[in-house]
Amino acid sequence: MDKKLDASFERVEKALAVLIDSMTKFTPSEKAANDVVKAERELFLGLEELEVHQRNVVRIKQLKQETEAFDAQTKQTISALWEMRKELVAVAPTKFSPAKEEKYPFTTQQLLDYARRISRNTLPPPGVTNGVDLSTAAPTTPDDQAATGPSASFATSIGGGGGSGQGTAASTPAPGVQDSFVSQGPSQSQTGATELPVHLKPAVNPLENAPFFTFPTIDRIRSGALAQYQDLVNRGIDPKNYDPEEEERRLKQEEQDRKDAEERARREREEQDRRMREERERMARERELARQQQQQQEGGMDRRGSVLAPGQGGGQPGRAAPKQFTFLDEDDDDEDED
Amino acid sequence: MASEPMSVGSSAQDPPPVPHATSQEPKYGGHTRFELELEFVQALGNPEYVNYLASRKFLQNPAFVAYLDYLQYWTRPPYLQYITYPTSCLKMLELLQVERFRKDILSPNLTHALITEGMKAAVEWHRESLS
Repeated sequence: MDKKLDASFERVEKALAVLIDSMTKFTPSEKAANDVVKAERELFLGLEELEVHQRNVVRIKQLKQETEAFDAQTKQTISALWEMRKELVAVAPTKFSPAKEEKYPFTTQQLLDYARRISRNTLPPPGVTNGVDLSTAAPTTPDDQAATGPSASFATSIGGGGGSGQGTAASTPAPGVQDSFVSQGPSQSQTGATELPVHLKPAVNPLENAPFFTFPTIDRIRSGALAQYQDLVNRGIDPKNYDPEEEERRLKQEEQDRKDAEERARREREEQDRRMREERERMARERELARQQQQQQEGGMDRRGSVLAPGQGGGQPGRAAPKQFTFLDEDDDDEDED
Repeated sequence: MASEPMSVGSSAQDPPPVPHATSQEPKYGGHTRFELELEFVQALGNPEYVNYLASRKFLQNPAFVAYLDYLQYWTRPPYLQYITYPTSCLKMLELLQVERFRKDILSPNLTHALITEGMKAAVEWHRESLS
């Protein structure tokens, strides 16, 4: 570009020099003047071109700068990504470790159930003080006033009033309406007997002086499953897979089986006895029958003879009877021997 | 808390499974491991009982100390919900992880102080929360 412009300038200068030269010689040449005008026009064209060129250069510079900026940005982004990836990789193990601490969702009902279960071991029943002086800090909520109001107001009247107990209790009732109602009731109805409620208080309150523990008592521990376990160990029984209830059931079952077997044996024996007795009776009957038949035969012969002697025939059954009884007696004796 | 020299880390055994109606756990003297350990961890809430254990030198036994460490699973769900004496039992379990306390509980004075302070606190925490 510079060369081109230089050439244009040179041409203009030359044309101008030729023109000036011709003018100094007092021979102005029209051609020389036209050359200057032409050269000047070319110069202007060149200058315009230069302007365009310069503008383009500026634009190119600008674009280069933009490219560089974008390059830098890209680099930065990539390096940031890389850093982040590195961090993520480094963080990953710690992300997995708290997997143990799972969240255990629970319902309101479960929470209330738990609160109900533990409340008897965390909250003392109304009136149980465990020796703590309840009068020092008066309860403020109405719920608590109902529970501890009377004892607190009595304690205040005794502690603060001293000798003039009744006057104090009557003239300076507790601030709460419920308290004043409760404390004034007995003192007004029983004149001059402010101490009486104090005497009666232990009698009225079954939980008076009752201790409250937030842990299982020794007695409870001694009667628990661990004590049973220790007892089994002391008796030389291996508690593993040993269930006292199961054992008891087993023993009962064995006892029952033994009883059943005994009962069965007894029945069988009775049955056998009965059969033997029947057999004997049957044999006895047969013998008796045979005897009677024999007697009848003998009787027939007797009857034939009784025509001559009738007294002998009447005496015959009388003679047979004792024989029969004698036989039965013998049978009984046999049975007894059995 | 668990960095004292006597602690032997977690026991090899896992906590017993939470009881279900259909579970067939082996029984020890008629009770499951879950039941026995629940009863034991709650009995630890009684300072007198812990004092008794200390007097029988249980708390000096590394195996027993490891067992106390293992019992800490009761401080986490889902076991936590079965403890009905949460206040004293969990605090005692925490204290028993400290070697110094395991030695100190041998003193009857400390045992008595724990009982009386516990009784006092049982009444006062409620009043404080109300007032």
